[in-house]
Amino acid sequence: MKGDGARGSLWQLGRLIPCLLIALGVVDLGFRFVSIDPLTFRAWEALRRYRPPGAAFEPNRRYYNARSYGDLAAVGNLRELRQYRTEVFTTDALGFRNAAHVLDAEVGAILVGDSFAVGSGVRDEETLSSSLSRLWGCVVYNVGSEIPGVGPDQIPAIARRLSMRSRLVIRLHAEDAQEPTISTSWQVTVRKLVAWAPGEVRTVVARLRGMLAVSPLQILSERAVKTLADGTILPNNYADNVVRATLTNGESMLFLASRVNDFYSRREAAAGYWRWLQAELQKARFDLLVILVPGKYRVYRPLLVDSRSVGEGAGDYLDRLEHELRASGIPVLNLTPLLTAEAARALERGEYLYWLDDIHWNARAIALAAAAVRAQLPPAAASCRAPRPQLVQRP
Amino acid sequence: MLFNSLAFLYGFLPVTYLVFRHLTGKTPRYVCLAISGYVFYSFWNYKFCALMLFSTLVSYAAGLALLRWQDPVRRRLCVWIPITMDLALLGFFKYANFMVTNLNEVSSWLGGRGTLPILEIVLPVGISFYTFHTITYIVDAYRGVITPTRNFFEFVAYVSLFTQLVAGPIVRFRQIEQDFEHIDRAERHAHRDIGWSFFVIGMIKKVLIADTIAAVIDPALARYSELSTLSAWLCMLGYAYQLYFDFSGYSDMAVGLGYLFGLRLPQNFNSPYKATDFADFWRRWHISLSSFFRDYVYIPLGGNRGSRLMTYRNLMVTMLLCGLWHGANWIFVVWGAYNGLLLVLHQMIKETWERFPRWTRQTGTFGLWVLGLVIFRSTGFDMVLTLLGTLFAFRGGAEIAGANVLIVVLVVAAALAHAGPNTFEIRHQWSPSWAAGFAVLFGICLFALYGSRPAPYLYFQF
Repeated sequence: MKGDGARGSLWQLGRLIPCLLIALGVVDLGFRFVSIDPLTFRAWEALRRYRPPGAAFEPNRRYYNARSYGDLAAVGNLRELRQYRTEVFTTDALGFRNAAHVLDAEVGAILVGDSFAVGSGVRDEETLSSSLSRLWGCVVYNVGSEIPGVGPDQIPAIARRLSMRSRLVIRLHAEDAQEPTISTSWQVTVRKLVAWAPGEVRTVVARLRGMLAVSPLQILSERAVKTLADGTILPNNYADNVVRATLTNGESMLFLASRVNDFYSRREAAAGYWRWLQAELQKARFDLLVILVPGKYRVYRPLLVDSRSVGEGAGDYLDRLEHELRASGIPVLNLTPLLTAEAARALERGEYLYWLDDIHWNARAIALAAAAVRAQLPPAAASCRAPRPQLVQRP
Repeated sequence: MLFNSLAFLYGFLPVTYLVFRHLTGKTPRYVCLAISGYVFYSFWNYKFCALMLFSTLVSYAAGLALLRWQDPVRRRLCVWIPITMDLALLGFFKYANFMVTNLNEVSSWLGGRGTLPILEIVLPVGISFYTFHTITYIVDAYRGVITPTRNFFEFVAYVSLFTQLVAGPIVRFRQIEQDFEHIDRAERHAHRDIGWSFFVIGMIKKVLIADTIAAVIDPALARYSELSTLSAWLCMLGYAYQLYFDFSGYSDMAVGLGYLFGLRLPQNFNSPYKATDFADFWRRWHISLSSFFRDYVYIPLGGNRGSRLMTYRNLMVTMLLCGLWHGANWIFVVWGAYNGLLLVLHQMIKETWERFPRWTRQTGTFGLWVLGLVIFRSTGFDMVLTLLGTLFAFRGGAEIAGANVLIVVLVVAAALAHAGPNTFEIRHQWSPSWAAGFAVLFGICLFALYGSRPAPYLYFQF
């Protein structure tokens, strides 16, 4: 076990271990120059890595994954509940999820929101903006991103880069999203500084930030740890992140545990942010339409076996918010009644409006939502249908 | 910041080490260690650095005063004032709410209506350890065991030494005084090999053994009422080895880091699971803490110099305080009492006990320790009773996920803990094949650390 033959050589632990640490550090550093697309299960993580400041995703990218699956199956490490599907995710030159030609088209509205607006687990042509564009005739430009997302101070700048036919902002607010907050003057100043920075600087910043923040070695290691923690070799401690419930048709559906807990506590529905948003947009001569999207648990709780009863004031956040917005004179469309009723009908046919393994809605729900939103919009201008490629200011 | 974190391994440690090596004089190196200690500590909560600095200043001043004054009254004041301040701070941060809760319950029991408010107190990490560092310094200076240092930075470096700051070992100044004096002449190359050897072994103990056991038993013990008897025994055996490999792993890493900076920290675990009786066990387990209680509580109380009854009383008082040190909770008091009773029992039947074969005594001691850990691991007395009931009810119930892995790790852990040498019994001169083996295991540890949040050490909570 012990020997003195290795004195003065690399095999001394005093040399070997620092060398090993350096080697692993070099491997980690080297991997940071490599694409993480093959290591990701969906576009969101892959395309956010090199996201320039002010953009939602890495610009001009196309992500294709034939075996994409849901975020809840991922965070709960529940391999057997994955629903594999094809995800095609394209970003434009501004770093938002739109087809490249959209920048050259007549834009009728800007869609602002979180991952529900972006679309998760769906193809490019199935997102809310794409569905709405088809139904309406005018292009709806998607600036969905992570929360806090695009602020009202950024909308005019984005609009200037588009060929806007009408000045409408559709603000999608998902029940599962955090409560939006009014931008501080500091946040606005930082966003202005970022907007003034040359594109090359923003690209370099995005590259550096992505390389510092994302370690492919870490992703590989997490995968290895999750493979071992499969509930048999080692307990699956990730499973507590999700709630696995049974629908009345016997199918398993996953919910984010924290969202389920939040559902049973009262959430304040204040209109302060929305009044501020409307006022800010009005200053730039934009109209606002708010779309309220119910959370998955809200829609499917009545369709679950053994669901808990809801206490007074809990579970009706969107209804109260809708009431507050209407009282404030803000146009609003609450999708809760539509999606709740349709989910029950679809379940009888063995169909779903939200992915079984994901927190997000699927193409079926998005199509329903698009039709409902379309009914709220003014008639499309005839000029929307003709592209005007030469008028667009390229970034 | 944890020793088993990438931030420590790739950031804090290399920067501190390179700066330390670059500096040549004593005082610059003391300053380097002092600053690194405060930086290390500030990763938890920078606000508590002021508290540690205050405690350090008071103790340093007391040491200078003890150097200057020979008058017994003044010298006694130099001991009692700083120790009272130290213990008052420890008492406030660690025990205030425990006292408030108990006073409220007594008041309620007596029919009182008013209740004292629970204070919003955050327990500063490591306060139990650095308070004991300063107490040992003052008492040893008073007793003349050490000569207090005049070098302020040397003392700050001693109290805030990052290798021992947050979870021990409780190193007495006299134990590293000599190394501090020669810190500018530290044998870097010889120490470097030994240091990394200790560190690697500690990391393997922590990440591959303790954390793997924890991954299986923690979720199982969270549903303790559903466990079968077999599962409950597996969990408690698992916890016994987890606790040992977690804390001794941490201690080994601390010792290894000490070596890298030219400081030889004392042994904290001497194969405790080879102990043949409970007195022997406490001489081997968390040696720096048990020797603190022996030297600064048990012996001043009279030790075993008085009657048998007085010895029993002293043992009980010492172990009750030892239990209370582990946490402001009646669970720990009961655990201390359990250990005190076993020590008293050992005193009573010592001669009979010695007649049993060695393996019987070792097994008996280990078994009683494991039973005591039922109390130590439990979050409440309900859990204690349920687990004890399950252990001896011989009933079926839920099996634990990962039981096969747990059994394999337990076999390895048991072989190492009961039959293998401890890290202070190893020469730390490895053949290439052993070095390569350690490097592979260390590489696996690092890869695992990349993919999971580093698990905190069990003794951080104390």
